[in-house]
Amino acid sequence: MAEKNSLKIGFTCANTPLPIIEAAGFSPHRILPMGDCPDLSGQHLHDNLCPHVKKSLDAALSGDMPDIAGMCFMNSCDAMRRMADAWRALRPDDPLLLLDLPTTTDSRSISFFADELRRMAKALAKWSGAPFDESAVKTCASRFNTLCGVMKSVSEKYRSRRLEGGAARIQELRNMASTQSTIKSLAALEEIDCQPLSDPPEYDSADPDAPVPVFLFGNAMPDPKAFELFESCGIHIVGDDLCTGSRMFQPISLEPETEEDETGDIYLTLARGIMRRPPCARTFSAQNPGAIADDILSGAKACGARAVMGHILKFCDPYLDRLPMIRNRMKEQSVPLLLLEGDCTLRSVGQQGTRIEAFVEMLR
Amino acid sequence: MIKDYFNDLVSGIEDKMAHDPKNRTPRKVYALEVARLGQRLYGGNDRVAWCGVAAPFDLLTAMGVTSCFVEFVGAMLASTGMAPAFMEEAERAGFAGDICAYHRSVMGAAQKNMMPIPDFLIATSCPCSGGLAIMENLAKEFEKDLFVLNIPQEASPEGVRYLADQMRDMVAFVADQTGEPLKDDALMEIIKQTNRARQLMADVYALAQSVPSPANSMTLSNLGIVMALLLGSPQGVEVAQAYYDDFSEKVARGISGAKNEQFRLLWIQNRIQYKNPLIPFLENELGAVIVADELNSITWDPIDPQDPYTGFAKRAISIPFNGWGARRISHLKKMAKDYKVDGAINPCHWGCRQGTGMRGLIADGFKEIGVPTLNLEVDCVDSRNFAEGQLKTRLEAFTEIMEARRG
Repeated sequence: MAEKNSLKIGFTCANTPLPIIEAAGFSPHRILPMGDCPDLSGQHLHDNLCPHVKKSLDAALSGDMPDIAGMCFMNSCDAMRRMADAWRALRPDDPLLLLDLPTTTDSRSISFFADELRRMAKALAKWSGAPFDESAVKTCASRFNTLCGVMKSVSEKYRSRRLEGGAARIQELRNMASTQSTIKSLAALEEIDCQPLSDPPEYDSADPDAPVPVFLFGNAMPDPKAFELFESCGIHIVGDDLCTGSRMFQPISLEPETEEDETGDIYLTLARGIMRRPPCARTFSAQNPGAIADDILSGAKACGARAVMGHILKFCDPYLDRLPMIRNRMKEQSVPLLLLEGDCTLRSVGQQGTRIEAFVEMLR
Repeated sequence: MIKDYFNDLVSGIEDKMAHDPKNRTPRKVYALEVARLGQRLYGGNDRVAWCGVAAPFDLLTAMGVTSCFVEFVGAMLASTGMAPAFMEEAERAGFAGDICAYHRSVMGAAQKNMMPIPDFLIATSCPCSGGLAIMENLAKEFEKDLFVLNIPQEASPEGVRYLADQMRDMVAFVADQTGEPLKDDALMEIIKQTNRARQLMADVYALAQSVPSPANSMTLSNLGIVMALLLGSPQGVEVAQAYYDDFSEKVARGISGAKNEQFRLLWIQNRIQYKNPLIPFLENELGAVIVADELNSITWDPIDPQDPYTGFAKRAISIPFNGWGARRISHLKKMAKDYKVDGAINPCHWGCRQGTGMRGLIADGFKEIGVPTLNLEVDCVDSRNFAEGQLKTRLEAFTEIMEARRG
């Protein structure tokens, strides 16, 4: 079980099956694309790869990460696959896994992904030198789900403006929970969840300074200071769908759905639970092309947002290629939309400040 | 407009061939079949499926469907000089200038009603995330049904079974769309044609490795990737046979395909699709001939008629762009040795994460076997930023490096 030796397995994608890592006795550690490491990845990967990948690799090459017992990559997009290639070439002593993640969530794909989870369990057992304890998977997944529940509760406190530190604080907590074991994260979050709440600031509905409730979607933006900056421009992030945000902490359903599930194949159950979580742009429905736009719209409506803001990393094809569909859908529904392009640095967010302020002015 | 273009192209090539049998070069035979494919796609009479690059085109042929990967349209628009106008259209619609120009031009063409409306679409997760996203866009744009083939990274038993099962599902999907199930005799016929063309192409590539090569820098341009569209048809065999006959004769007589083969080059990934002076400059002024293209190789076994879906699945998984980059690099290194090349050129198509993304790793791989690599900065479809002077200077410098290495 987790914590027995505190060895870490690095990962870079929100779709990584964390319960398998923990069931194998490791602690998952997300390599976050932040910090000021020198650009070392550029020698090996082209400049047109997304900054999420390049900055994560920069962190690894600069040693700006803890010791790890191995890396688990997801074949979630071209850039992630290329990062796995570069990692293998440049850190040859790290054991690596590249898990295939189908882009659709039909039953065949779920079954195949279950096979991938079995492969992962075998590899982790080899890395740890101990047999893989399948019975621990459900416990670890349940604990992860509890963590998601507490994270949601704390996020709700932020939404009602009763959490000290605002959006930046939430992001700090998400980063914390991405880089240590579920047990530790859960303990820390439960403590915060029990703390007395601060009084929410009171705004009159006609107050011109009242923050505007906005739904934020996109890929990676882990720097808490970026969220401070967003808030300083007059927005209140009432809901999000970010790879380094709430998407990372969506519970994994362990409810059996088919007779096959009743046989107790935990890999199949987990595969379905992971693949059926709210997806990022790289996973889609062949039966409902453009569903990402509907998902964003319903996410915005569900949290009472008055507008939608997208923060997309440069060169991220899965998002960039779908932005026109998203833009058209928001236009059809008269939902104000602001699209920002970033590179995982505060500088790029800072440069967008004027645009965000203008957007807020328009909404007020 | 595009329909007329293909009609003119077909009649022009047919006239030339009829006028003088010497004009029946393998390249002309190839060009004719490509033009006829364009005629079928744009003619309005055939059932059409727009597809991803790794789709089983021969299997679709067996089901009476004319199919093609959408990047073919991007390349065609670039070669005719029409791509920039369509890319501007796509950019106006919100497609970022940083995404692949093949895909931007296709989206622009679709929005300007210059892409035939397909009967349905078959997307493939290989080679790239961008291609998959564009297929989703096109399905929405055309309001047509989409089927997705997830191509596993490795040919593990689980991966092959998964893809083979998806291909069976695809056959059911197509039958549902067309109202006509796959007939056994049609399947057996396309397998026969595919395997025949496969063997001929393997022989053609082996002949192209001769020194001097029977190929000049343009003879084999785009051949491997486009041949996938002709597999399963007699036309595919005809094209392969034409190359085989020509190359066999040239090799037997020691005839070089180029006038001056001083340096032999391997071209990585795709060619530059619009008219440009780089290839003639390389060959005529620098004596550097492209004898090998990365995609001109056979990486799959013949399809077993007794177990065709396993064969189709293994073929799709075997594409060098699929899987770990190390596999692609090994493949490139083997090609470099087999073709005895002096250097490799990577155009580094802007917007291609899966291919260009690993350019540094590819260069490192070639370095291990003593083959210098030139990384260019070219968009293979978008000619708007083509920097001819700079590129020529770099090609000259690269030739000097190859010369110096010979001592």
